[in-house]
Amino acid sequence: MGNLKTGHIVEAAIWLSLTIFLYIYSFEFDKEIEIYKYGASSWPRAILLLIAIAAIGQLAFHWRSGDGAGTSMIGQATADSAEDAAHESHHDSARWYAWTFFLLAIPFVYLNLPEWIAAAMSLEKPGLHTVKLISAAVLVAIYLIAIRGNHVGGILALPILFGAFLQDFGFYAMAPVFILGVMYLFGERRYKHMVLVMAGLFALLLMFFVSLLYLGLPAGNISPFYDFGTGLVNILQ
Amino acid sequence: METFNNFLGGTVALFSDPLGILIFFGGVIGGMLFGAIPGVSMLTLAAILLPFTAHLSPEHGIMLFSVIYCTGVYGGAITAILFNIPGAPENAPTAFDGYPMTKNGQAGKAVGAAVMCSALGGTVSAVIMMIATAPIANWAISAFGPPEIFALVFFGLAVASSVGAKTFWKGWLSILAGLLIAIVGLDPVGGIERWDFNMPYLLAGIHFIPTILGFFAVTEIFVQAEKKAKGSYVAPKLSVDFPTLAELIAHKVAVIRSIVIGFFCGILPGIGATLAAFMGYNEAVRWSKNPSEFGKGKLEGVISSETANNAATGAAMIPLLALGLPGGALTAMMVGVFQMHDMEPGPLVFINSADLVWVVFAAMFFANLSILFVGYLETKTIINLLRIPFQFLAPMILCLATVGAYAVRGLTIDVIVMFVAGAIGFFLRRSGYSVAGIVLGLILGRIGEQTFAQAMQMLHFEWSGFIGRPIALGLIIAGFLTLGGSIYGAFFKKV
Amino acid sequence: MKLKKHLASVGTIAVSMALSANVAFAACATDGLPASMDGPDGYPERALTMIVPYGPAGGSGQVAQAMAQAVSDLTGVSINRDHKPGGSGAVGMTSFMATPADGYTVLEHIDDASSGHALDSSRPNPADDLIPLVTSQITFSQVYIRVEEDRFTDWASFVDWVKAQDGKATIANVSKEGSMERVTMKFITDATGMEIQQISFDKGAPRYGALAGGQVDALFEQPGDVRKFLDAGTFKPILTILKEAPEAFADVPSLTDAGLDFEPLYRFRGFYVHKDAPADRVEWLQWAFQKAYCEESYQKYNESKFMTLIESFRDTEGSRELINNTVAQYRDVYKAMGLEVK
Repeated sequence: MGNLKTGHIVEAAIWLSLTIFLYIYSFEFDKEIEIYKYGASSWPRAILLLIAIAAIGQLAFHWRSGDGAGTSMIGQATADSAEDAAHESHHDSARWYAWTFFLLAIPFVYLNLPEWIAAAMSLEKPGLHTVKLISAAVLVAIYLIAIRGNHVGGILALPILFGAFLQDFGFYAMAPVFILGVMYLFGERRYKHMVLVMAGLFALLLMFFVSLLYLGLPAGNISPFYDFGTGLVNILQ
Repeated sequence: METFNNFLGGTVALFSDPLGILIFFGGVIGGMLFGAIPGVSMLTLAAILLPFTAHLSPEHGIMLFSVIYCTGVYGGAITAILFNIPGAPENAPTAFDGYPMTKNGQAGKAVGAAVMCSALGGTVSAVIMMIATAPIANWAISAFGPPEIFALVFFGLAVASSVGAKTFWKGWLSILAGLLIAIVGLDPVGGIERWDFNMPYLLAGIHFIPTILGFFAVTEIFVQAEKKAKGSYVAPKLSVDFPTLAELIAHKVAVIRSIVIGFFCGILPGIGATLAAFMGYNEAVRWSKNPSEFGKGKLEGVISSETANNAATGAAMIPLLALGLPGGALTAMMVGVFQMHDMEPGPLVFINSADLVWVVFAAMFFANLSILFVGYLETKTIINLLRIPFQFLAPMILCLATVGAYAVRGLTIDVIVMFVAGAIGFFLRRSGYSVAGIVLGLILGRIGEQTFAQAMQMLHFEWSGFIGRPIALGLIIAGFLTLGGSIYGAFFKKV
Repeated sequence: MKLKKHLASVGTIAVSMALSANVAFAACATDGLPASMDGPDGYPERALTMIVPYGPAGGSGQVAQAMAQAVSDLTGVSINRDHKPGGSGAVGMTSFMATPADGYTVLEHIDDASSGHALDSSRPNPADDLIPLVTSQITFSQVYIRVEEDRFTDWASFVDWVKAQDGKATIANVSKEGSMERVTMKFITDATGMEIQQISFDKGAPRYGALAGGQVDALFEQPGDVRKFLDAGTFKPILTILKEAPEAFADVPSLTDAGLDFEPLYRFRGFYVHKDAPADRVEWLQWAFQKAYCEESYQKYNESKFMTLIESFRDTEGSRELINNTVAQYRDVYKAMGLEVK
């Protein structure tokens, strides 16, 4: 086994399985282009090949010299204490990773599931909106239960969930909840402070970007969030 | 002499009407402010302002963007130093030593050095730009085709792979990961959908601005959050002790070296300022007697990268004006401003709109100078952002980043991409990969593939065609030499 | 001699511009519509949003800006433009289809929406799934060479030269397979029997730079987009892809003159609203956008982009006809080219 650790093998395995997955998927667009001999898939496949070589090269390097950096690389990304912090908080166990990835998957369920349900039941737009509202509520509940005991996972997943909700529910309705959520997850418990900071920050954002710069932030597509967003913009502009 | 007269003409045009002066200072302050507020960047401001420039006169519109460009590159250094959040990729190396300096309680010194070096590098670069742009434009239009640009990208990637990662392999894996992300969306030759996984919004491709925001701004918040959860969070110390003049003079070699590097790298389209900053930093380490001190808060690190990236701003205008080739996102938006006023940057710009070009040059010169004065005052106030408790600063940065990511293309997918990149960056930070390398790969990936395809189409799919184009050949050889050098350094050199 | 000829053609353009300008102001397509119209029940009570599936600087961004300005000038209702570029217009379209059909969101789109639907019928059909409010720009394409070019000077000598190069001659074109540009190039090469390597550029500026710098031998483009280069005397057209040459380009051979027998494809840009939007609101929007077409500011803009050389205006029915014809035409072409039509 040389100087290999489990982590090194996992790392190489992730790279190689990613390459294989994307290589298989590249047949989807393996189309000829009339005016270009190499087609649409040669460049991606060349990159995949290089990644595979580099991943194996890295594995060989670890096998020979373990973790020892030993090279003249500069400005290392590990110069901060991120690595130590992770280790201290036991955020590097397999269980923690699995839990965190489960949390991170929640927003993607929202991005796909309602469309599938609507397609399966051949629903029109109003039906789709109902499905989306219900899925959102269920997923938020799952998220709230799942973050108990995995604080950092909750922090990682919350913004993505916020991003996933933006198009349907809008920035105007979601941002105040998001601001409160971040403050809570970051350990603030003085509710008066939280509400004051939230209101101040939200008002500043709206005044600066919406009233002053006329920036169109996502207003949402689903009632009543849509009506709230557009109504607010109407007052501000 | 003609140059000087043109410059005077541009200056008069710039300051002859009150609206022009107002826009100039608005741009200076706006660029610095947006550059310096963590989460948003000069790109956010530029994206928001772009539609409004249609209402301004061409002189004012283009002047505004030139000013934002100069001051924004400097402003991005402030967040890099204070929060480890570079405002743009070209500020990333500034964080290598700038952020450790903040942690050591030397934030004021680092920011002060950034102010002075940015102003100096930028001003010198603006002067060279005024003299050099027109002759280069005439030469480059026929000398630089797709094969040359592809060769340039290859060279740039070879240089960049040796910066920022823990090992040779991780450096390349980072760049390759960036190139891989750049493939998502429509292919540049036939518009064929690639790796969209049936999500229509992915057809727009993954933009580098949300990715930068994610990897730098969002990741930093996550890392701090974890430390806070563990109780090991330490609020940064404050100080406003500026560097003394003697300290700067002691680094004169570094400054001159970075100006030269910055200017020559800056000419390269697509990568200019970023490559300049990385190379400026890289050379500082190589020339140093004590390379191990870098990365732990060495003033020379900040000086080298900040001088280099501002020295690149003037140089970046050369391919923009001479070839119509933008050097990055902001210069790409400047192309938009030109077009909105019915002007096409490119060699013809000197024939069609020479007056306007000189307004740009004059504006950049004065914007760089004004960094020194306005920047000095502003820094004293911006640094106080550090006093805000982290649990209140975090939602502010995340909300601003959301606005910043969304404003570029009006797509919510960009917000999701940003936060996903933030989560990925959180894991990568533990593993020795270079997020700056990924970003560079992402920016250059598309240009690289596109110019490669165009070169192949032009050379009738004969690779030997590169030999017939000396500039392309020279750059490719230089790329391989760089690659060979880093392989030698990684495997054969005894440390 | 060459210079003289060029000057003559610039002169013709200038004269005909002046002429068409007079015509445009003398009688415009929608002069018959009422000068003002009240929206139903206080509609619109807030600003409209216009989704533009391209960036603010390109042809679509500019026409959206000009039309939004004209509608606002006419009605006093402000319009916020929301640029959502990407995927050759597919991203903006998807995003528009998800917005509520309340008549407050309109869409700018180009003929790519029609050819996109022709290739893949799961994409919205602009004539059926949307209501066209107005088509406000219709234009044609040309083939350009550099004025200082000495290997060939006109269409006939160009074709001869290309044939002599044995497939090694090059022309800069857009990158999207099945697009108006690429299909038209196929028509041309089939009709002339010449072989020419097309080079893909997805952005305008590098495409024009490639011709100006001599990296390619010719360029395929619409006149409005390269007007600067025509006025500066850098590029000149050698073929107009229309059955009959318009007055402004009387010296340039048309398809008929060059003996090329195919139906030309057009580039067109227009404005749309959801088909489920309330009918009375749609009626008001139709009035506003069609009437705004004749606003002086808009007409001036169209002229500056060579958009008055052929009739650019279509109302809702006219637009539907244009779109349906276009879709049918592309379907035939795609099948003939062996592309997979879904």
